[in-house]
Amino acid sequence: MRVSIPWLKKFVNIKQTTEELADMLSMLGLEAEAPESTSFTGIVVGKVITAEKHPNADRLKLCTVSDGQNEFQVVCGATNVATNQRVPFAKIGAVLGDDFIIKKAKIRGERSFGMICSEKELGLSEEHEGIMILDDNAKIGTDFEEYLKSNLEYLEIDLTPNRPDCMSHVGVAREIAVKTGQKLDFKNAKNRNVKKNEVSELLSIKIEDKNDCPRYIAGLVKNISVGPSPKWLQDLLASSGQRSINNIVDISNYVLLEMGHPTHIFDFDKVPSNTIGIRKAKKGECVTTLDDEKRTLTNQLVITDGKNPIGIAGIMGGLDSAVTDKTLTVLIESAYFNPITIRRSAKSLGMSTEASKRFERGADPQGAEHAYWRVVGLLEELAGGEWIPGIIDEYPKKISQNTITLTREKINILSGCDLSDTFVKDTLSHLEIDIKKDGKYNWTCIPPSFRPDLEREVDLIEECCRVYGYDEISSSFHYGGLYDLAEVDSEDVLSSIAKTMSGLGFRQCYLNSLTDEKTSNLLGAHSVAMQNPLSSSMSHLRTSLFPGLLETLNYNIRNGTSNVNLFEIGKEYRPGKMYDEVVHLTGVMHGEWLSKSVHNDDQHHSIYSLKGIINALFNRLNVNNISFSTLDDDLYEYGLSIKFGKTIIGHCGKMSQSFLKILNLDIDDVYGFDIELDSITSAMKIITNYESIVHYPKVDRDINFVLEDEIHSGDVVNAIMKACSEYLIAVQPVNIYQHESLGDNKKSVTFHLEFQSVVKTLEEAEINSAMNDITAIITKQFDAKLRD
Amino acid sequence: MTINESIESVRKSFRTDLDSFPSDPKEIDSLRSVYFGRKGLIAGLYISLADLPNNEKPEAGQSINNFKKKLQTDFDAKASTVIDVASTTHNQSFDLSLPGFPITNGSIHPLQQTLDEIKSIFKSVGFKVAYGPEIEDDYHNFEALNIPKHHPARDMQDTFFVKDNIVLRTHTSNVQIHLMEEREPPLRYIVPGRVYRNESVSYKSYCLFHQIEGLFVDKNVSMADLKGILEYFVKQFFGESTVMRFRPSFFPFTEPSAEVDIWDKKRGKWMEILGCGMIDPNVFENVGYDSSIWHGYAFGMGIERMTMLKYGIDDIRLFYQNDIRFLEQF
Repeated sequence: MRVSIPWLKKFVNIKQTTEELADMLSMLGLEAEAPESTSFTGIVVGKVITAEKHPNADRLKLCTVSDGQNEFQVVCGATNVATNQRVPFAKIGAVLGDDFIIKKAKIRGERSFGMICSEKELGLSEEHEGIMILDDNAKIGTDFEEYLKSNLEYLEIDLTPNRPDCMSHVGVAREIAVKTGQKLDFKNAKNRNVKKNEVSELLSIKIEDKNDCPRYIAGLVKNISVGPSPKWLQDLLASSGQRSINNIVDISNYVLLEMGHPTHIFDFDKVPSNTIGIRKAKKGECVTTLDDEKRTLTNQLVITDGKNPIGIAGIMGGLDSAVTDKTLTVLIESAYFNPITIRRSAKSLGMSTEASKRFERGADPQGAEHAYWRVVGLLEELAGGEWIPGIIDEYPKKISQNTITLTREKINILSGCDLSDTFVKDTLSHLEIDIKKDGKYNWTCIPPSFRPDLEREVDLIEECCRVYGYDEISSSFHYGGLYDLAEVDSEDVLSSIAKTMSGLGFRQCYLNSLTDEKTSNLLGAHSVAMQNPLSSSMSHLRTSLFPGLLETLNYNIRNGTSNVNLFEIGKEYRPGKMYDEVVHLTGVMHGEWLSKSVHNDDQHHSIYSLKGIINALFNRLNVNNISFSTLDDDLYEYGLSIKFGKTIIGHCGKMSQSFLKILNLDIDDVYGFDIELDSITSAMKIITNYESIVHYPKVDRDINFVLEDEIHSGDVVNAIMKACSEYLIAVQPVNIYQHESLGDNKKSVTFHLEFQSVVKTLEEAEINSAMNDITAIITKQFDAKLRD
Repeated sequence: MTINESIESVRKSFRTDLDSFPSDPKEIDSLRSVYFGRKGLIAGLYISLADLPNNEKPEAGQSINNFKKKLQTDFDAKASTVIDVASTTHNQSFDLSLPGFPITNGSIHPLQQTLDEIKSIFKSVGFKVAYGPEIEDDYHNFEALNIPKHHPARDMQDTFFVKDNIVLRTHTSNVQIHLMEEREPPLRYIVPGRVYRNESVSYKSYCLFHQIEGLFVDKNVSMADLKGILEYFVKQFFGESTVMRFRPSFFPFTEPSAEVDIWDKKRGKWMEILGCGMIDPNVFENVGYDSSIWHGYAFGMGIERMTMLKYGIDDIRLFYQNDIRFLEQF
């Protein structure tokens, strides 16, 4: 909301600069910002002396512009240029934007010494239709930057929804007065004598539901003349960013911006029934609003002429009953509508107006009356109207303020600082909070009707604290709380997994958990859909981390990084009776894990580097008992299940081309893995018991078998482990050799065995006997031959 | 002895020599001549060819050729590894300007780093950590937090709806309610997590972000305590000389409410970093705590925003683009 500083000055003394004022209001809870001034060089306020058609071009004008000392011939393309205007005039040598320098020019045969600028050319707005027209009082020759500064006397306030009272100049001025200890210089318009209530014979009001419309005030003013507003009113409106329409509309806007209460002015002759009804719309009813939009209604609250809607209550009036140049008698509406009713209407119509914003936050039920009298007075003063004596004030549901007891004890506990009795009482009364009873340790208070946000004791404590200044409350660093038994942070493990993956050469990603429907259902999964998605590409929650990671992989490859290892720790989401949010660790890798150098050849990722990484990760996490088994899945060209004990906790493999194609990714040789973390965090031994180091020597032996080609080395390893479990601590295949000399479809595999005892040094004979056992079993089980 | 037997005997001796391969270059050279020298064992094999009948010579010659090739490859391979080690030990004529092995390293996402740092600061002063669901019912995300339906405060957070009554949480404050429903006071927790806003994506807003929420409930908790904990946090996180201010604000679930700004020297203006306040008595009543006895504070901040301010990042989308040229800086 734009607040004009000259307007505020009508109600309160302001000595601060705009920036200081913005700061002060911000520290009171009204987030305010001063406009930024722009700097210009070589631009002055010029006056258009002549503006005639360019002799050689229909669309151009040939003007003479004065800078107060000299006159310049200028060719101008704008249609709105006219004599006597004050305009921003860029002289020769002026700089527009970053580097556009104004030079002498010849346009269609006529010389031009400078330029008359539009707001867009000056970088002030996007407005480029025509030149910018300045205030008539602007002094010719004034530096344009100076001129602008004097027009920048306003603040932009971003109000929180609890402060409808500050959606007005009086409201903001009251805050300034409270903080600076001044008395607010504002009096509501006086109520007039309404004993002779003529208006009640001319007009009747029918409220259908008092909950929707607790109060409706109406009255009539006749013989008005519609015309332009006086200059002071136009200026005041302009200073808070409002355009002047005509005196009648301006009066309503003026009252709204002054005291915050929305009123509406109807052309009474367009309400021939002499009846105003307030009721819920019937489904399908229509009304064309002031903005010339035909609105089809459902059940919004409407104002009717007793029969048909002539306006949408609290939001916008109807076009048919609007004031025109010919209007003679006007009906003033000043009401208090239920905030929820107005909010629902506005939401359902997708409308947000100055009126609806105030009503839905809570207008002032007493303000309705003050606003009525204010409008009546202004119509007489500015439109020559004659008030028809009387007021119709339907007030079926009285709105009253809570009585609140404020206690010293609660002030002390919540504020944690020493607010004196005097300070508390002064603050409350400056805020127009009525102190009914002034007790020793407590105060009985009634807030004013314009503060619907003050309902409870804490609300009053907040008022005291914010006026005192939050920054004045000393921070306490001495809290003596309880020692509490520590709970393990269940996500500490995620952080250590991230560190491990990083150590293994992977980069952590954070990816969007919203995706499109096709991707979320890719793997045959059911997904959670949004009712109101931002776009079709973000309509569902993801069911796998793979698509996002693969797209990121692709993105980075396209941007020149060919060796990419990425991982994410994040949630997958699934629908169900209760929604499932399951944490996964998913990774993708592509290219080389060791690049070529003078020392070594390049090493490309393969299913084996993948297995190595997974093993290293689990090893680091102290999860033993991990095994792999082959997996047939559309995700992978060839893949493996990852098992912890007997439970499958994830899978890995070479990503299939068909899957990458579905994602529209033109990459190959991508390896990936996906591990469900929830199921293994329990398997992790966070605290491992120390195991004593074995001091007896380790004995290494190699054994070489000639095997049928199709026999898997892993099966042989398992068999060896089984054959001799006492001292054998590790078996690894270390060499595979194929040669025709071995026979058809044969291979020779060397296994490296490690023996160790925890209690003694092993004898040669013990190892030999173990080796013999192994040889016997393997040769038999796999029809293998020992190779020497 | 047939040719094949001769080859086999040379092979056996060669295997033994490979196992006890010398490390001294001179010894390697002499071993090389034992096999490949003019009077070496391989040469001897060729000589014995002469004794064979002519029709057997080609095949036997071929076997010896193959055998020689294999032996030479194995010998060179072994020698090259040993010679490298040898040169290292003796440090002779070694090009130390060569780069090391091209070892790749990974990285931790900046948001994870910030999250870890923030958590550790609050853990150091006695906060525990709790988590909660992202798909949440309207009650826990809004109503229990004193944000009734049709309240203008709902406009402060554009919401994704899964069903009429189910939303993607708009803040981590839903976990406040779960915690207080499940536990008796006093309690002191921080709650990190992912939250969603139905706002169009731009440099300053993304459809989701990460929040960390703090909550402290006890009998005697004041604004002064809230200021103390946040001052401690801000100075730990942004540095001791950070200038900050507490500005009154409005949140439905706190009263009084405040926002904290820090002074950004580069931009020359105040930057909002977090919202906070004293827990609203309505929230206490909703979870069955007696608000005449229990008081508390709560605060919430955006992890993206904290990271952006700390590192001068000006586009929130960078966090979700995961460009390696961005990630590798952290």
